[in-house]
Amino acid sequence: MDPEIARLFAAKEARRRRLARLPFAEKVKLVVQLQRMAAPLLRQRGRQVRVWSL
Amino acid sequence: MKRTLEILFELERAGVVSRHAIGGAMGATFYVEPFLTFDLDVFVLLPRSAGGLLTLTPLYEALRARGYAEEGEHVNIEGVPVQFLPAYNALLEEALQEAREVPYEDVQARVLRAEHLAAICVQTGRPKDRERARLLREQAALDADYLAAVLARHGLAGKWREWG
Repeated sequence: MDPEIARLFAAKEARRRRLARLPFAEKVKLVVQLQRMAAPLLRQRGRQVRVWSL
Repeated sequence: MKRTLEILFELERAGVVSRHAIGGAMGATFYVEPFLTFDLDVFVLLPRSAGGLLTLTPLYEALRARGYAEEGEHVNIEGVPVQFLPAYNALLEEALQEAREVPYEDVQARVLRAEHLAAICVQTGRPKDRERARLLREQAALDADYLAAVLARHGLAGKWREWG
């Protein structure tokens, strides 16, 4: 594999592991951010979703 | 979310459920990187009804009395759609008994152990469970001995190896 691509994949994996170690409350905030990003797309496809209130 | 968690413990104290714990995607998120979900899956041990049947009706009635309405298969508790899932087999009952409490801001949340979440994924067996099991295997620092005992007790060791 190209060393630059390998470096990018390694950085991506490191970020995922860093996210996995966050406190639960921080992770819940990130899930809600994901919900905010995904909700408009899902609603366009006809799926009813609710973004959580924290 | 904080108030949602408090309501879950209130239901327990009121005897509406015998025990509860977060499972599903949010349960897994406690141990792995956050991923998208819109549901809070809460497993519950229900007090036995007179006929010995599992029914969520008393739980829904108790929630309605507190002002939380059902929306399809969910109940909206303080802005979070909660799906209650009664423990319907020995693995889920064990998982609930051994779930642990973790801090969420200044309240507590009760979450299934990662090893039980992995075993439940294997037992349920859908493609998304397989993906979740992979994440748990990679990121959750599973206790190998504890997991092996859970898988053996519930006849899931072979499938876990197959998924590895």
